[in-house]
Amino acid sequence: MEDPGKRFRILTCIDGSEESYRGLRYAARLGSGVDADVTLLYVRAFDSALGTGGLDPRLIRENLLDWDLDLPGIRALKAGRDILLEVGLMDEAWISRLYHSETQGDPLGDNAIEYISDTETMITLRLKVASDIVNGILEECEDGDYTLVILGASERWQPGQRKTFWDPAVAEKIVARAPASVIVARELEQNHGHLICTNGSEASISMARKDAILASRCACPISLLSVAPDEASSDKAQDALERTRNAIEELGVPVMEAFIRVGDLVTEIIEAGAVYSVIVVAHSPKAGLRRLFETDTAFQIVENARNSVMVIK
Amino acid sequence: MFIFPEHSRIPLSISSTASNVRRVASKVIKTTRPLQPVWRRRWFLIAMLTGAGMLLLPPPGALGFHGWAVLTMVVVAVILFVTEPIPLPAVALLIVAGQVILLNLDSSAVAQSLMNDSVLFIMGSLMIAVALVKQKLDKRIAFLIVRLTGTKTFNVCLGISLLSGVLASFIGEHTVAAMMLPVALTLIRLTSDDPKQVRALAAVILFSICYGAAIGSIATPSGGARNAIMIGYWKSFFYDPNNPETARYLIDYVKWMLYGYPLFLVQVPFVTLLLFMTFRPGQKHITRAVAKLRNQVEEEGPLRPSDYLTIAIFAAILLAWILASDKIGLGTVALLGAAAFLVAGLVRWEEISSGVNWGVVLLYAAMISLGVQMVETGAALWVARTFLGMLTSLDVNHGASLYAVLIALTTLVTNTMSTAAAIAVLGPIMLKLAGVVNESPLIIGFLTALASSFAYLTVVSAPACTIVYGSGYLRTTDFLAAGWKMVVLSSLVCIGAAVFYWPLLQ
Repeated sequence: MEDPGKRFRILTCIDGSEESYRGLRYAARLGSGVDADVTLLYVRAFDSALGTGGLDPRLIRENLLDWDLDLPGIRALKAGRDILLEVGLMDEAWISRLYHSETQGDPLGDNAIEYISDTETMITLRLKVASDIVNGILEECEDGDYTLVILGASERWQPGQRKTFWDPAVAEKIVARAPASVIVARELEQNHGHLICTNGSEASISMARKDAILASRCACPISLLSVAPDEASSDKAQDALERTRNAIEELGVPVMEAFIRVGDLVTEIIEAGAVYSVIVVAHSPKAGLRRLFETDTAFQIVENARNSVMVIK
Repeated sequence: MFIFPEHSRIPLSISSTASNVRRVASKVIKTTRPLQPVWRRRWFLIAMLTGAGMLLLPPPGALGFHGWAVLTMVVVAVILFVTEPIPLPAVALLIVAGQVILLNLDSSAVAQSLMNDSVLFIMGSLMIAVALVKQKLDKRIAFLIVRLTGTKTFNVCLGISLLSGVLASFIGEHTVAAMMLPVALTLIRLTSDDPKQVRALAAVILFSICYGAAIGSIATPSGGARNAIMIGYWKSFFYDPNNPETARYLIDYVKWMLYGYPLFLVQVPFVTLLLFMTFRPGQKHITRAVAKLRNQVEEEGPLRPSDYLTIAIFAAILLAWILASDKIGLGTVALLGAAAFLVAGLVRWEEISSGVNWGVVLLYAAMISLGVQMVETGAALWVARTFLGMLTSLDVNHGASLYAVLIALTTLVTNTMSTAAAIAVLGPIMLKLAGVVNESPLIIGFLTALASSFAYLTVVSAPACTIVYGSGYLRTTDFLAAGWKMVVLSSLVCIGAAVFYWPLLQ
């Protein structure tokens, strides 16, 4: 995000839900510059012949195509493309290119259509097959070198019934493993600004600077929050706020407000953040066995917040 | 084959140059986690470690090492079925190798145990399924439904359930789901293009297919592989050619229909009722969609000679199943039927070969072979006795309460893995249990086979559920919302039949 020569690439995961389209509208706002590319991704699972009792799924797909019924996901992606046309991020004069590749024996495989403007801005609709949704999104993240991933916190991104007992939610896995910042979109409304949560650490300030650049792309107002565990720690929190504010303002991005709350970190952030478009937190990965016993603060906020959360990496 | 450009508002300039086609094989996937391939196979490692751990333990009670080894293979196979860390046909290969290595069996004997009439039936019916789907009779079926049911949504769904059930009772639920899905999706899309407006309608129509097919699949032996597997088990475990009394364990097509068909017919109206109570679709009539569908279907014109030939071959297969399957076997009839489609030139071998996933046939064959080993090594009897000990302590070791527990157990297993694989594993245990508790093996066998069709709760448990879920209109939670009611309904009908109806047939 800080490399000025790098294109700003947004991956928006679409599942046909209203939540995912809200995320897309937000992506359209962030990606309105000429240096931005937006990819709409729909992941479907590999067709499994065992699931269909030994009848090859190709047969079923071909039968549907005979009735002019397209693959699941196509309609969702088309609806996403229509939204981008409606908000003016792309127009009908753009040229398009079609890609198809057979993937791991699935003949319908990966399909994509790229729309390219005369300024080389690219919008891609991608229908991807993968062993599961998480792997599909992560593979796309790695292949596409994205700056930001937007993922709706909708039902389809939850794990399947069968794996519920031992699989964490898809959003949590993407947050943990994607090599890019992630927005988990929930009731994502524009124009309410970003609430950046800081504790004054180097990582936290670096995260704040990254988000400041991002927020400036959509002219979103920035607010700063630091949470003190008790009244005695208020001075430390105030210091964290000041240092973060200075770091952001050095970039020429104004800070609209900065405030402290006292109490439990996760609870205070969720309560204070409820009125903003996005709560912004830093990713603080835990390695090895610590992952089993300690829950990342960012995960707790992603899991419990009532609105959208961005985890900056 | 691909689809984005249609209805596109954007003009396309599609180039076919090689540079435009990316091949995944040449793509370099950057892996940020070097242990990711191992992590993805973690359940395989866990299954293998579990198996190794079990084999290191001494066999419990009177069970010999071979019986313990078979149980170990079952546990490992179930872990692999549920978690799917490796392709499922690979599980079949491991089962075959495991029988030779762990049970010290001759590899030719294991190879022979992989092929019996049940496996021939599975192969043959899959080939017939491909041939039928290729004939595009779905439009004729759609025409029949809308002609019979009119435009009232309830009646359309009742018609879909009934027809799906009747068809599934003869040709298996996967074939029916494959043929009916386009009909259902066309009705839904012709009602509204907005998925939100037709969500409830889509749910009742799509569930009418998969639940209709599920309740129909119990009605005849050809309704599902599990039925043929159970018939094979009865014959293997109880029939003695030297003892005429055991001839009652040879269940032919008509006898099965006497047991199963009334249960299907009783459930049909309740399925529609339950679905409407669960999803409450706003559209009471779908007049516009039915009219459009009728126009669309009428464009097909009258039946062609190939359609008549298809119907004639299919009728001949049904007749042969009813009249001759007790002499030449269900599997032989199915193979003859598939051959008839090929001889008549209605389908090419290449189409059949690519339409059937042969790995699935191998998997079923391996599971049936393992089921036979469960009986021969005494593993099934040991599990049955252990299970009975638990049931006795709960005072549910006879009658309706026993039936309820067996149904619950089978339903639980069948909702977590393939139904045919479930019956292959559970069948021998349940049949041995029948002997231990002095219940009729026929009643216990029917209960197990029928309850294995109660795969209403999850997307993955039954082929028809998986196929309709692929439409993208249903949520996984929808299966739970409607499925538990279906489980209750089917369980009550089954228990009622086991207590009051089936004893009259014996």
